[in-house]
Amino acid sequence: MGAVSDTIPDRDRTTADAGVALDDITVDFGGVTALEDVSLSVDEGEFFTLVGPSGCGKTTTLRAIAGFEEPAAGEVHIDGRRVTDLAPERRDVGVVFQHYALFPHMTVRENVAYGLRFRDPPGNVTDDERVDELLSLVDMAGMGEREPEQLSGGQQQRIALARALAPGPDVLLLDEPLSALDARLRERLRVTIREIQQELGITTIYVTHDQSEALAISDRVAVVSGGRIEQVAPPETVYREPRSRFVAEFVGENNLLDGEVTESAPPRTTVDGTPITLPESATVDTGDPVALCVRPEVLSLGESEMVSNATTLTATVEHREFLGDAYRVHCSWNDRSLLVKTDSREPPEGTVTLTVAASDIHLLSDSGR
Amino acid sequence: MVAAGRERVNARRWSERLAVPTAFVLTVAILALVFYYPVLSVLREAVVRAGSLTAAPLVDVLGDPFYTGVAHYLFTAPLSIPAGVLDWIRAGFPSVEFGLFGFTAFQAFLSTLASVVVGLPGAYLLARFEFRGRRTLRSLTILPFVLPSIMVAVGFLAMFGQNGLLNDVLGALGLGQVNLLFTLEIIVLAHAFYNAPLVTRLVTTAWEGVDARRVETARALGAGPFRAFRDIVVPQLLPALLTAALLTFVFTFLSFPIVLALGGLRLATVEVWLYARVQDLELAEAATLGTIETVLSLALTYLYLRYEARQTTASGGTTLPRRALAVGWKTLRDPVRIGLAVYGVGILVLFVGPLVSMVVESVTGPNGLTSAYYEFLLDQQATTAAGTTKPLPAIANSLAFGVGTLALAVPMGIVVSVMATRGGTGSRLAETLMSAPLAVSGVVVGLGLLQTLVFGTTVAGYRFTAGGALAIVVAHAVAAYPFVTRNVTPALAGIDSQLVDSARSLGASRFRTLLDVELPLVWTAVLAGGAFAFAISIGEFDTTVLLAEGVESYTMPVALERYIGNRSLGPSLGPATAMGTVLLLVTAASFLVIERLGGRWEP
Repeated sequence: MGAVSDTIPDRDRTTADAGVALDDITVDFGGVTALEDVSLSVDEGEFFTLVGPSGCGKTTTLRAIAGFEEPAAGEVHIDGRRVTDLAPERRDVGVVFQHYALFPHMTVRENVAYGLRFRDPPGNVTDDERVDELLSLVDMAGMGEREPEQLSGGQQQRIALARALAPGPDVLLLDEPLSALDARLRERLRVTIREIQQELGITTIYVTHDQSEALAISDRVAVVSGGRIEQVAPPETVYREPRSRFVAEFVGENNLLDGEVTESAPPRTTVDGTPITLPESATVDTGDPVALCVRPEVLSLGESEMVSNATTLTATVEHREFLGDAYRVHCSWNDRSLLVKTDSREPPEGTVTLTVAASDIHLLSDSGR
Repeated sequence: MVAAGRERVNARRWSERLAVPTAFVLTVAILALVFYYPVLSVLREAVVRAGSLTAAPLVDVLGDPFYTGVAHYLFTAPLSIPAGVLDWIRAGFPSVEFGLFGFTAFQAFLSTLASVVVGLPGAYLLARFEFRGRRTLRSLTILPFVLPSIMVAVGFLAMFGQNGLLNDVLGALGLGQVNLLFTLEIIVLAHAFYNAPLVTRLVTTAWEGVDARRVETARALGAGPFRAFRDIVVPQLLPALLTAALLTFVFTFLSFPIVLALGGLRLATVEVWLYARVQDLELAEAATLGTIETVLSLALTYLYLRYEARQTTASGGTTLPRRALAVGWKTLRDPVRIGLAVYGVGILVLFVGPLVSMVVESVTGPNGLTSAYYEFLLDQQATTAAGTTKPLPAIANSLAFGVGTLALAVPMGIVVSVMATRGGTGSRLAETLMSAPLAVSGVVVGLGLLQTLVFGTTVAGYRFTAGGALAIVVAHAVAAYPFVTRNVTPALAGIDSQLVDSARSLGASRFRTLLDVELPLVWTAVLAGGAFAFAISIGEFDTTVLLAEGVESYTMPVALERYIGNRSLGPSLGPATAMGTVLLLVTAASFLVIERLGGRWEP
């Protein structure tokens, strides 16, 4: 069957010039496969995020790169070096964990300086200068003599970041670094992390279960599920053109509709007997099963003559939630529930007309149910 | 009608609100009466002569070379010290005597060292390896602590003594004989039996608290496995190790039955000498000795508490992964695992050996199997001679005192736990109340009780005396309730405060909440605490031996000690091992019963 092309072609990457490359990595935990044949290539200087539900294998992937897990099969390369058999201390990676893992018996300064016991600081600076440099970078200048326990969670995480960066690692690995912090602080600190990453141009791999965080911070995102990678693409692509049902439902909210193609030119389908116009670019054949992704924000309440090639659906409003800048409206249509996100004007109650432009509908390339 | 109903509820609320504070006041009163008052009276004896304060008795003891060795010059002729030191250097550093106190500290130091050496590999094994029975083994580390020490002493005699199992085995192998009886070695070994498990337990807990992510961070930053261990793991183990060492030092400094039975007066420590002085009715000198000893151990305990308070507990971490202990044939090629196997054999000899030897010796004589020692016990029971130590009353007394201790120590322990978890002034007071009995030796408490409650005391014109049995039960309860508290406090603190808040908002008073919600949730901890209290009472010797003096209220441990001296059946330990086996059976049975009821040994 022909499906809508949903990815930009992978750039030509080779192991030799990638910041980090995984080739067919498999990790077993006592007979249970945590990762299966995972291959990834992260560009030098790229901010790359692994996102997925808990237990999906994203942290295992990160730990395999750092050398904390030994893969049963496959190769790990950092900056073109094969590091598969190297101990963690010989890989030149900086790691930041969720619970900071600051050394409680050392001061902030001693924590940041710890890696400099084993590696010279980059550039022509002394260890002390390097520590001061890093403390300023994370906006913690003058806090060096504090004990870790005197710091707030956000401050501890800044220090953990400074400590990981101090020896000038080739790669920065962040394992859910913001998950222990409250929402507002999380948003502030993720901007800080992104700015520092751009300033240093360091290859960064970030693990999170929070898809909105992944979209906000990354150059590219890998969606992981069940020990496999579902899709690797820039955030916009992952959001607008999910490759699989899992990605469509995990990243953002989606109305997924299954139908059958009734016409191929112009392409049309029916869902529960209602005809829906598909984007013109869709290359489908009559009789094909298709899965339609309709984001809540592309459904508009009321009829709109402005939109050409649109489909209108008659639905009933069941429940409305006010979000401040918008409303979430739960509608029922043909015994299905449809989620609609509107602007801040109060939506009507009762029977409503929903309009969706053909170009706003995305077809899953894999319609598998 | 409605109004009257409300009245009743309110009246009940008042009594309920007062329940816990009242119980706390009662607990404090009991402590004051049978701990603080007797102990302070001992201290008073040491510094008050004929109604006025004096330092003379203290100076007499401290200035006596028998007690303090060369340090006596500090009190008799402090000005001559510099010249004395110069003489000593000119004479080429001849050996120096430090007297009774010096010897006591020396054996405590050696015992601490031995406990650390024996205990540390155990912590490594329990924290870093996975094997069948690991959890059970970890729980068992608490057991030696509650075994009756006089019984353990008999076990050590049976294992390492002249006619002990070790010599029987060595003789059978034609390897000659060793005699460890009345040597420092056997005392140090027996102290290690008690305190090495303490080292193991505290260090294991600390090791399990090490965050694996911290170690991984160090590795990622460039530290090798050994370096990461040194920089990250060791600093987290050291406080636990020092805590355990300090506690061990205090315990072995105050150790009594072990030294009495295994060292006798030849290797007397302060505590044993103190007991001998009491037996000779030299009560004033005993009080002075007790005072100095108490001040020393209080200082050490204060140090320990200060140190313990500074320790921070790790949170939100991931425990270091455990490796499998047995890895098939490869087990035999790994030097670490072979080392642990050798260690296991040593542990078996040190911990199981004495108990097994005691049982074996109780049924074997010079001519093979015999029941003579148990028959001796029955003969003792049948005799009508005055002053005979009969076995049955000892068993009956021990069980009765044990039950009495349970009845008193469990409520006391719970009340102190409740106060400790509620925060505020009460919680600090409760902490302090709990720690003090730890630092005062049983002999000093017993001496104080003798001089106050047993001999009688006059309050507001009335003369009070408390008989031996009552004094013993209350003294046992005071020694035992901290074990109830140690079990119950963490359990109470672990209860989700929202449960308590829910019960309160539904109308339950604070006391009803305790009865209806909190105690049902921590009942296993209460049971475990009860098991400890019972075991402490069954095994208590230091105080009981003084209070049971001349009274028909001797217990199994006291009877046991009397049988050790009884060599009417020849040079063997026979009767003592028989009595020890009976004590072992009763102790084991009581633990078994409570374990069946769902108690746990883990504090």
